[in-house]
Amino acid sequence: MGITLTYTEQELVSLLRNRDNKAFAYLYDNYASALYSIILQIVSDAELANDVLQEVFVNIWRRIEQYDMGKGRLFTWMMNIARNASIDTLRSKGYQNSRKNQSIEDNVDTLQVTDVLQPGVDTIGLRKVLEKLKAEQRILIELAYFKGYTHEEIAELEKIPLGTVKTRIRNALIQLRELLK
Amino acid sequence: MNIQEYISSGIVESYVLGLAEDSERTAFEQMCTLHAEVRAARDAFELSLEQQALSAAVAPPVTLRQNILQQLAAETVPESNSITPVVQMRPIRRSPVPMAMRYVAAAAVVLLVASAGLNIYYFNKYRDYSQRYDQLLAQQTELAKNNNAMQTRMGNYEQTIKGLTNPYMAKITMEGKDVPNNGSPDPRSLATVLWDTRSKDVYLMVNNLPMPETGKQYQLWAIVDNQPVDAGMLDMSYGHMMVKMKNIPRAQLFAITLEQRGGSSTPKGPMYVMGKV
Repeated sequence: MGITLTYTEQELVSLLRNRDNKAFAYLYDNYASALYSIILQIVSDAELANDVLQEVFVNIWRRIEQYDMGKGRLFTWMMNIARNASIDTLRSKGYQNSRKNQSIEDNVDTLQVTDVLQPGVDTIGLRKVLEKLKAEQRILIELAYFKGYTHEEIAELEKIPLGTVKTRIRNALIQLRELLK
Repeated sequence: MNIQEYISSGIVESYVLGLAEDSERTAFEQMCTLHAEVRAARDAFELSLEQQALSAAVAPPVTLRQNILQQLAAETVPESNSITPVVQMRPIRRSPVPMAMRYVAAAAVVLLVASAGLNIYYFNKYRDYSQRYDQLLAQQTELAKNNNAMQTRMGNYEQTIKGLTNPYMAKITMEGKDVPNNGSPDPRSLATVLWDTRSKDVYLMVNNLPMPETGKQYQLWAIVDNQPVDAGMLDMSYGHMMVKMKNIPRAQLFAITLEQRGGSSTPKGPMYVMGKV
Protein backbone atom coordinates (compact mmCIF):
# COMPACT_ATOMS: atom_id res chain seq x y z
CA MET A 1 0.00 0.00 0.00
CA GLY A 2 2.92 2.34 0.53
CA ILE A 3 1.81 5.69 1.79
CA THR A 4 -1.75 5.28 2.95
CA LEU A 5 -3.92 8.31 3.44
CA THR A 6 -5.94 8.20 6.58
CA TYR A 7 -9.10 10.16 7.13
CA THR A 8 -11.16 10.82 10.20
CA GLU A 9 -14.53 9.15 9.87
CA GLN A 10 -16.11 12.57 9.44
CA GLU A 11 -13.77 13.53 6.59
CA LEU A 12 -14.31 10.18 4.95
CA VAL A 13 -18.10 10.45 5.14
CA SER A 14 -17.96 13.96 3.76
CA LEU A 15 -15.84 12.82 0.81
CA LEU A 16 -18.09 9.80 0.23
CA ARG A 17 -21.09 12.11 0.12
CA ASN A 18 -19.32 14.08 -2.61
CA ARG A 19 -18.94 10.76 -4.45
CA ASP A 20 -15.18 11.17 -4.30
CA ASN A 21 -13.63 8.25 -6.22
CA LYS A 22 -10.49 8.24 -4.09
CA ALA A 23 -12.54 8.04 -0.93
CA PHE A 24 -14.38 5.01 -2.27
CA ALA A 25 -11.09 3.40 -3.21
CA TYR A 26 -9.90 4.10 0.33
CA LEU A 27 -13.11 2.64 1.71
CA TYR A 28 -12.66 -0.46 -0.40
CA ASP A 29 -9.02 -0.93 0.52
CA ASN A 30 -9.72 -0.60 4.23
CA TYR A 31 -13.08 -2.28 4.67
CA ALA A 32 -13.85 -4.56 1.72
CA SER A 33 -12.14 -7.55 3.37
CA ALA A 34 -13.95 -7.09 6.66
CA LEU A 35 -17.28 -6.76 4.83
CA TYR A 36 -16.46 -9.69 2.57
CA SER A 37 -15.89 -11.78 5.66
CA ILE A 38 -19.32 -10.84 7.04
CA ILE A 39 -20.95 -11.64 3.69
CA LEU A 40 -19.20 -15.00 3.50
CA GLN A 41 -20.44 -15.91 6.97
CA ILE A 42 -24.01 -15.53 5.69
CA VAL A 43 -24.03 -16.61 2.04
CA SER A 44 -20.97 -18.91 2.28
CA ASP A 45 -20.78 -19.25 -1.49
CA ALA A 46 -17.75 -17.27 -2.78
CA GLU A 47 -19.32 -16.55 -6.19
CA LEU A 48 -22.45 -15.21 -4.53
CA ALA A 49 -20.38 -13.28 -1.99
CA ASN A 50 -18.61 -11.45 -4.83
CA ASP A 51 -21.96 -10.27 -6.19
CA VAL A 52 -23.13 -9.25 -2.72
CA LEU A 53 -19.93 -7.28 -2.04
CA GLN A 54 -20.48 -5.39 -5.27
CA GLU A 55 -24.07 -4.73 -4.29
CA VAL A 56 -22.96 -3.56 -0.85
CA PHE A 57 -20.59 -0.96 -2.30
CA VAL A 58 -23.20 0.25 -4.75
CA ASN A 59 -25.62 0.59 -1.83
CA ILE A 60 -23.06 2.51 0.20
CA TRP A 61 -22.49 4.79 -2.79
CA ARG A 62 -26.18 5.38 -3.30
CA ARG A 63 -27.26 5.66 0.30
CA ILE A 64 -24.37 7.44 1.98
CA GLU A 65 -26.63 10.47 2.63
CA GLN A 66 -28.76 8.30 4.86
CA TYR A 67 -25.87 7.44 7.12
CA ASP A 68 -26.40 9.25 10.41
CA MET A 69 -23.20 9.66 12.38
CA GLY A 70 -25.22 10.25 15.53
CA LYS A 71 -26.61 6.73 15.40
CA GLY A 72 -23.37 4.86 15.11
CA ARG A 73 -20.06 4.31 13.41
CA LEU A 74 -19.71 4.15 9.63
CA PHE A 75 -18.48 0.57 9.83
CA THR A 76 -21.54 -0.51 11.83
CA TRP A 77 -23.74 1.05 9.15
CA MET A 78 -21.82 -0.72 6.37
CA MET A 79 -21.82 -3.97 8.30
CA ASN A 80 -25.60 -3.86 8.55
CA ILE A 81 -25.86 -3.12 4.82
CA ALA A 82 -23.65 -6.15 4.18
CA ARG A 83 -25.70 -8.35 6.50
CA ASN A 84 -29.03 -7.26 5.02
CA ALA A 85 -27.80 -7.61 1.42
CA SER A 86 -26.48 -11.09 2.20
CA ILE A 87 -29.70 -12.24 3.83
CA ASP A 88 -31.77 -10.76 0.97
CA THR A 89 -29.59 -12.53 -1.59
CA LEU A 90 -29.87 -15.79 0.30
CA ARG A 91 -33.65 -15.51 0.37
CA SER A 92 -34.13 -14.35 -3.24
CA LYS A 93 -31.88 -17.10 -4.55
CA GLY A 94 -33.92 -19.57 -2.62
CA TYR A 95 -30.50 -20.72 -1.66
CA GLN A 96 -31.37 -22.69 1.39
CA ASN A 97 -35.05 -22.79 0.55
CA SER A 98 -36.52 -26.14 1.12
CA ARG A 99 -33.69 -28.22 2.48
CA LYS A 100 -32.31 -26.02 5.25
CA ASN A 101 -35.65 -24.65 6.46
CA GLN A 102 -37.06 -28.06 6.52
CA SER A 103 -34.12 -29.46 8.36
CA ILE A 104 -34.60 -26.81 11.00
CA GLU A 105 -38.31 -27.40 11.26
CA ASP A 106 -38.04 -31.15 11.24
CA ASN A 107 -35.12 -31.50 13.53
CA VAL A 108 -35.50 -28.72 16.01
CA ASP A 109 -34.74 -30.93 18.96
CA THR A 110 -31.78 -32.59 17.43
CA LEU A 111 -30.48 -29.60 15.53
CA GLN A 112 -26.73 -29.57 15.67
CA VAL A 113 -24.58 -26.54 15.11
CA THR A 114 -22.95 -28.23 12.16
CA ASP A 115 -26.31 -28.66 10.45
CA VAL A 116 -26.96 -24.97 10.50
CA LEU A 117 -23.52 -23.59 9.91
CA GLN A 118 -22.15 -23.60 6.44
CA PRO A 119 -19.08 -25.77 6.11
CA GLY A 120 -15.86 -23.82 6.05
CA VAL A 121 -17.25 -20.60 7.38
CA ASP A 122 -17.58 -21.50 11.01
CA THR A 123 -14.03 -20.52 11.66
CA ILE A 124 -14.20 -16.88 10.63
CA GLY A 125 -15.52 -13.70 12.12
CA LEU A 126 -18.33 -13.66 14.61
CA ARG A 127 -18.99 -17.32 14.06
CA LYS A 128 -15.63 -18.14 15.54
CA VAL A 129 -16.50 -16.06 18.57
CA LEU A 130 -19.94 -17.63 18.76
CA GLU A 131 -18.39 -21.07 19.04
CA LYS A 132 -17.75 -20.25 22.66
CA LEU A 133 -21.46 -19.84 23.37
CA LYS A 134 -23.77 -22.60 24.48
CA ALA A 135 -25.38 -24.49 21.58
CA GLU A 136 -28.90 -23.35 22.39
CA GLN A 137 -27.70 -19.74 22.26
CA ARG A 138 -25.66 -20.28 19.11
CA ILE A 139 -28.66 -21.58 17.22
CA LEU A 140 -30.77 -18.57 18.15
CA ILE A 141 -28.01 -16.13 17.13
CA GLU A 142 -27.57 -18.12 13.94
CA LEU A 143 -31.24 -17.80 13.07
CA ALA A 144 -31.61 -14.17 14.16
CA TYR A 145 -28.37 -12.67 12.97
CA PHE A 146 -27.17 -14.83 10.09
CA LYS A 147 -30.55 -15.90 8.73
CA GLY A 148 -32.48 -12.75 9.56
CA TYR A 149 -35.45 -14.42 11.22
CA THR A 150 -37.65 -12.36 13.52
CA HIS A 151 -38.05 -13.37 17.13
CA GLU A 152 -41.59 -14.53 16.35
CA GLU A 153 -40.39 -16.71 13.48
CA ILE A 154 -37.71 -18.19 15.67
CA ALA A 155 -40.20 -18.90 18.43
CA GLU A 156 -42.34 -20.74 15.92
CA LEU A 157 -39.42 -22.61 14.36
CA GLU A 158 -37.88 -23.61 17.64
CA LYS A 159 -41.19 -24.24 19.38
CA ILE A 160 -40.18 -22.13 22.36
CA PRO A 161 -41.99 -19.16 23.90
CA LEU A 162 -41.27 -15.74 22.40
CA GLY A 163 -40.12 -14.43 25.79
CA THR A 164 -37.60 -17.22 26.05
CA VAL A 165 -36.29 -16.46 22.57
CA LYS A 166 -35.77 -12.83 23.52
CA THR A 167 -34.11 -13.63 26.81
CA ARG A 168 -31.78 -16.22 25.30
CA ILE A 169 -30.75 -13.90 22.50
CA ARG A 170 -30.18 -11.05 24.94
CA ASN A 171 -28.07 -13.30 27.15
CA ALA A 172 -26.13 -14.53 24.15
CA LEU A 173 -25.45 -10.94 23.09
CA ILE A 174 -24.27 -9.99 26.58
CA GLN A 175 -21.82 -12.87 26.48
CA LEU A 176 -20.79 -11.89 22.98
CA ARG A 177 -19.76 -8.48 24.24
CA GLU A 178 -17.57 -10.06 26.86
CA LEU A 179 -16.06 -12.40 24.28
CA LEU A 180 -15.24 -9.51 21.96
CA LYS A 181 -13.38 -7.58 24.69
CA MET B 1 -34.18 -0.02 35.60
CA ASN B 2 -31.18 2.24 36.04
CA ILE B 3 -28.79 3.17 33.28
CA GLN B 4 -26.24 0.51 34.11
CA GLU B 5 -28.87 -2.22 34.07
CA TYR B 6 -30.18 -0.85 30.78
CA ILE B 7 -26.70 -0.87 29.27
CA SER B 8 -25.98 -4.42 30.37
CA SER B 9 -29.40 -5.74 29.30
CA GLY B 10 -28.08 -6.65 25.85
CA ILE B 11 -29.90 -3.77 24.15
CA VAL B 12 -26.60 -2.22 23.07
CA GLU B 13 -25.51 -5.33 21.18
CA SER B 14 -29.01 -5.98 19.91
CA TYR B 15 -29.18 -2.43 18.51
CA VAL B 16 -25.74 -2.42 16.94
CA LEU B 17 -26.15 -5.81 15.30
CA GLY B 18 -29.52 -4.79 13.87
CA LEU B 19 -31.49 -7.28 15.95
CA ALA B 20 -33.54 -4.80 17.98
CA GLU B 21 -37.20 -4.24 17.24
CA ASP B 22 -38.34 -0.84 15.95
CA SER B 23 -39.69 0.32 19.32
CA GLU B 24 -36.46 -0.79 21.02
CA ARG B 25 -34.40 1.04 18.40
CA THR B 26 -36.28 4.30 18.86
CA ALA B 27 -36.00 4.04 22.65
CA PHE B 28 -32.29 3.24 22.43
CA GLU B 29 -31.57 6.20 20.15
CA GLN B 30 -33.39 8.39 22.65
CA MET B 31 -31.34 6.96 25.51
CA CYS B 32 -28.17 7.64 23.53
CA THR B 33 -29.01 11.30 23.17
CA LEU B 34 -29.96 11.53 26.84
CA HIS B 35 -27.18 9.49 28.47
CA ALA B 36 -23.51 9.70 27.59
CA GLU B 37 -22.95 6.32 29.31
CA VAL B 38 -25.29 4.58 26.87
CA ARG B 39 -23.58 6.27 23.98
CA ALA B 40 -20.19 5.28 25.33
CA ALA B 41 -21.30 1.64 25.71
CA ARG B 42 -22.57 1.66 22.15
CA ASP B 43 -19.32 3.17 20.84
CA ALA B 44 -17.28 0.61 22.76
CA PHE B 45 -19.25 -2.35 21.39
CA GLU B 46 -19.17 -0.96 17.86
CA LEU B 47 -15.43 -0.52 18.09
CA SER B 48 -14.83 -4.03 19.38
CA LEU B 49 -17.09 -5.43 16.66
CA GLU B 50 -15.23 -3.44 14.02
CA GLN B 51 -11.85 -4.56 15.33
CA GLN B 52 -13.04 -8.14 15.39
CA ALA B 53 -14.32 -7.86 11.81
CA LEU B 54 -11.10 -6.27 10.62
CA SER B 55 -9.00 -8.95 12.28
CA ALA B 56 -11.22 -11.64 10.80
CA ALA B 57 -11.15 -10.01 7.35
CA VAL B 58 -11.14 -12.26 4.29
CA ALA B 59 -9.70 -10.67 1.18
CA PRO B 60 -12.08 -10.77 -1.76
CA PRO B 61 -10.75 -11.75 -5.22
CA VAL B 62 -8.28 -9.13 -6.47
CA THR B 63 -10.20 -8.50 -9.71
CA LEU B 64 -13.28 -7.52 -7.74
CA ARG B 65 -11.73 -4.23 -6.61
CA GLN B 66 -11.37 -2.96 -10.17
CA ASN B 67 -14.90 -4.07 -11.11
CA ILE B 68 -16.56 -2.48 -8.13
CA LEU B 69 -14.69 0.84 -8.30
CA GLN B 70 -15.41 1.07 -12.03
CA GLN B 71 -19.06 0.45 -11.40
CA LEU B 72 -19.14 3.16 -8.72
CA ALA B 73 -17.44 5.62 -11.07
CA ALA B 74 -20.20 4.93 -13.61
CA GLU B 75 -22.98 5.42 -11.05
CA THR B 76 -25.02 8.57 -11.24
CA VAL B 77 -25.93 10.44 -8.10
CA PRO B 78 -29.29 9.06 -7.00
CA GLU B 79 -32.30 11.31 -7.26
CA SER B 80 -34.40 11.83 -4.19
CA ASN B 81 -36.62 8.97 -5.39
CA SER B 82 -34.84 6.37 -3.27
CA ILE B 83 -37.30 5.75 -0.49
CA THR B 84 -35.61 5.96 2.87
CA PRO B 85 -36.41 7.74 6.10
CA VAL B 86 -33.33 9.91 6.02
CA VAL B 87 -33.83 10.99 2.44
CA GLN B 88 -37.43 11.76 3.27
CA MET B 89 -36.25 13.79 6.21
CA ARG B 90 -33.99 16.01 4.14
CA PRO B 91 -36.67 18.04 2.33
CA ILE B 92 -38.35 18.53 5.70
CA ARG B 93 -35.10 19.73 7.20
CA ARG B 94 -34.46 21.94 4.22
CA SER B 95 -37.99 23.29 4.09
CA PRO B 96 -37.55 26.01 6.76
CA VAL B 97 -35.14 27.84 4.48
CA PRO B 98 -37.38 27.88 1.37
CA MET B 99 -40.40 28.67 3.57
CA ALA B 100 -38.53 31.57 5.11
CA MET B 101 -37.45 32.63 1.65
CA ARG B 102 -41.05 32.38 0.52
CA TYR B 103 -42.14 34.73 3.27
CA VAL B 104 -39.33 37.09 2.41
CA ALA B 105 -40.31 36.92 -1.27
CA ALA B 106 -43.97 37.51 -0.43
CA ALA B 107 -43.02 40.45 1.75
CA ALA B 108 -40.82 41.79 -1.05
CA VAL B 109 -43.68 41.53 -3.55
CA VAL B 110 -46.06 43.30 -1.16
CA LEU B 111 -43.50 46.05 -0.59
CA LEU B 112 -42.90 46.36 -4.33
CA VAL B 113 -46.61 46.72 -5.06
CA ALA B 114 -47.00 49.22 -2.23
CA SER B 115 -44.00 51.13 -3.46
CA ALA B 116 -45.34 51.18 -7.04
CA GLY B 117 -48.69 52.44 -5.74
CA LEU B 118 -46.98 55.18 -3.77
CA ASN B 119 -44.92 56.07 -6.82
CA ILE B 120 -48.07 56.58 -8.88
CA TYR B 121 -49.73 58.53 -6.06
CA TYR B 122 -46.74 60.80 -5.53
CA PHE B 123 -46.17 61.23 -9.26
CA ASN B 124 -49.76 62.44 -9.70
CA LYS B 125 -49.34 64.69 -6.72
CA TYR B 126 -46.09 65.98 -8.09
CA ARG B 127 -47.68 66.68 -11.49
CA ASP B 128 -50.57 68.49 -9.81
CA TYR B 129 -48.23 70.64 -7.71
CA SER B 130 -45.98 71.24 -10.69
CA GLN B 131 -48.94 72.54 -12.70
CA ARG B 132 -50.09 74.70 -9.85
CA TYR B 133 -46.56 76.01 -9.39
CA ASP B 134 -46.37 76.95 -13.08
CA GLN B 135 -49.71 78.73 -12.82
CA LEU B 136 -48.60 80.63 -9.74
CA LEU B 137 -45.32 81.51 -11.41
CA ALA B 138 -47.18 82.87 -14.46
CA GLN B 139 -49.51 84.84 -12.22
CA GLN B 140 -46.61 86.19 -10.25
CA THR B 141 -44.79 87.23 -13.45
CA GLU B 142 -47.96 88.89 -14.70
CA LEU B 143 -48.39 90.72 -11.42
CA ALA B 144 -44.76 91.82 -11.45
CA LYS B 145 -45.13 93.08 -15.02
CA ASN B 146 -48.32 94.94 -14.13
CA ASN B 147 -46.62 96.32 -11.07
CA ASN B 148 -43.71 97.54 -13.19
CA ALA B 149 -46.07 99.17 -15.68
CA MET B 150 -47.99 100.79 -12.84
CA GLN B 151 -44.81 102.07 -11.27
CA THR B 152 -43.66 103.49 -14.60
CA ARG B 153 -47.01 105.21 -15.06
CA MET B 154 -46.95 106.41 -11.48
CA GLY B 155 -43.46 107.78 -12.05
CA ASN B 156 -44.62 109.53 -15.17
CA TYR B 157 -47.64 111.04 -13.43
CA GLU B 158 -45.45 112.18 -10.55
CA GLN B 159 -43.14 113.83 -13.05
CA THR B 160 -46.06 115.43 -14.86
CA ILE B 161 -47.48 116.80 -11.62
CA LYS B 162 -44.02 117.99 -10.61
CA GLY B 163 -43.67 119.74 -13.95
CA LEU B 164 -47.12 121.28 -13.75
CA THR B 165 -46.57 122.53 -10.21
CA ASN B 166 -43.02 123.74 -10.88
CA PRO B 167 -43.07 127.57 -10.48
CA TYR B 168 -40.14 127.95 -12.90
CA MET B 169 -41.92 126.02 -15.64
CA ALA B 170 -43.18 128.11 -18.57
CA LYS B 171 -46.36 126.78 -20.16
CA ILE B 172 -46.89 127.21 -23.89
CA THR B 173 -50.23 126.09 -25.28
CA MET B 174 -50.10 125.00 -28.91
CA GLU B 175 -53.41 125.01 -30.76
CA GLY B 176 -54.55 123.89 -34.17
CA LYS B 177 -56.40 127.12 -34.78
CA ASP B 178 -53.17 129.10 -34.33
CA VAL B 179 -51.60 127.45 -37.35
CA PRO B 180 -51.30 130.12 -40.01
CA ASN B 181 -53.83 130.12 -42.86
CA ASN B 182 -55.96 127.56 -41.04
CA GLY B 183 -53.27 125.07 -42.22
CA SER B 184 -53.80 122.44 -39.45
CA PRO B 185 -55.33 119.18 -40.76
CA ASP B 186 -57.23 119.06 -37.45
CA PRO B 187 -57.96 122.54 -36.00
CA ARG B 188 -59.11 120.99 -32.67
CA SER B 189 -55.60 119.70 -32.09
CA LEU B 190 -54.02 120.77 -28.80
CA ALA B 191 -50.66 120.19 -27.14
CA THR B 192 -48.71 121.85 -24.33
CA VAL B 193 -45.01 122.57 -24.06
CA LEU B 194 -43.58 122.96 -20.57
CA TRP B 195 -40.23 124.68 -20.64
CA ASP B 196 -38.04 124.84 -17.59
CA THR B 197 -36.81 128.40 -17.56
CA ARG B 198 -33.70 127.51 -15.53
CA SER B 199 -32.51 124.25 -17.10
CA LYS B 200 -34.05 125.00 -20.52
CA ASP B 201 -35.33 121.38 -20.67
CA VAL B 202 -38.44 121.05 -22.81
CA TYR B 203 -41.34 118.72 -21.89
CA LEU B 204 -44.32 117.95 -24.11
CA MET B 205 -47.80 117.01 -23.10
CA VAL B 206 -50.33 115.92 -25.74
CA ASN B 207 -53.83 117.11 -25.06
CA ASN B 208 -55.46 116.20 -28.33
CA LEU B 209 -53.78 114.95 -31.48
CA PRO B 210 -55.18 112.51 -34.04
CA MET B 211 -53.46 109.11 -34.02
CA PRO B 212 -50.83 109.23 -36.76
CA GLU B 213 -51.03 106.68 -39.58
CA THR B 214 -48.36 103.98 -39.57
CA GLY B 215 -44.98 105.11 -40.83
CA LYS B 216 -45.71 108.68 -39.62
CA GLN B 217 -44.66 110.33 -36.35
CA TYR B 218 -45.19 113.75 -34.77
CA GLN B 219 -42.11 115.93 -34.43
CA LEU B 220 -41.74 118.97 -32.13
CA TRP B 221 -39.98 122.01 -33.45
CA ALA B 222 -38.64 125.09 -31.77
CA ILE B 223 -38.62 128.14 -33.98
CA VAL B 224 -35.51 130.13 -33.19
CA ASP B 225 -35.10 133.36 -35.13
CA ASN B 226 -37.42 131.98 -37.84
CA GLN B 227 -35.36 128.81 -38.13
CA PRO B 228 -36.96 125.45 -37.10
CA VAL B 229 -34.85 123.45 -34.65
CA ASP B 230 -35.63 119.78 -33.94
CA ALA B 231 -36.93 119.46 -30.39
CA GLY B 232 -37.58 115.69 -30.44
CA MET B 233 -39.93 113.00 -31.66
CA LEU B 234 -43.27 112.33 -30.03
CA ASP B 235 -44.24 108.87 -28.77
CA MET B 236 -48.00 108.63 -28.65
CA SER B 237 -47.97 105.69 -26.27
CA TYR B 238 -47.28 108.04 -23.35
CA GLY B 239 -50.72 109.47 -23.75
CA HIS B 240 -51.42 112.69 -21.92
CA MET B 241 -48.36 112.59 -19.77
CA MET B 242 -45.44 114.94 -19.73
CA VAL B 243 -42.60 113.62 -21.83
CA LYS B 244 -39.12 115.04 -21.72
CA MET B 245 -37.95 116.38 -25.09
CA LYS B 246 -34.70 118.10 -26.04
CA ASN B 247 -32.98 121.01 -24.31
CA ILE B 248 -33.80 124.24 -26.12
CA PRO B 249 -31.95 127.31 -24.80
CA ARG B 250 -33.86 129.90 -26.82
CA ALA B 251 -37.04 129.95 -28.95
CA GLN B 252 -39.89 132.18 -30.03
CA LEU B 253 -42.36 129.51 -31.20
CA PHE B 254 -43.08 125.82 -30.77
CA ALA B 255 -44.89 123.74 -33.41
CA ILE B 256 -45.68 120.09 -34.18
CA THR B 257 -45.63 118.65 -37.69
CA LEU B 258 -46.38 115.12 -38.87
CA GLU B 259 -43.23 113.65 -40.39
CA GLN B 260 -41.93 110.34 -41.67
CA ARG B 261 -41.19 107.95 -38.79
CA GLY B 262 -37.82 108.80 -37.22
CA GLY B 263 -38.16 112.46 -37.99
CA SER B 264 -36.76 114.99 -40.44
CA SER B 265 -33.99 117.57 -40.23
CA THR B 266 -36.35 120.27 -41.47
CA PRO B 267 -40.17 120.14 -41.28
CA LYS B 268 -41.74 118.74 -44.45
CA GLY B 269 -45.14 117.53 -43.34
CA PRO B 270 -48.26 119.43 -42.35
CA MET B 271 -48.28 121.50 -39.18
CA TYR B 272 -50.90 120.44 -36.61
CA VAL B 273 -50.40 122.90 -33.77
CA MET B 274 -48.41 126.04 -33.05
CA GLY B 275 -47.91 128.27 -29.99
CA LYS B 276 -46.02 131.38 -29.14
CA VAL B 277 -43.65 131.54 -26.22
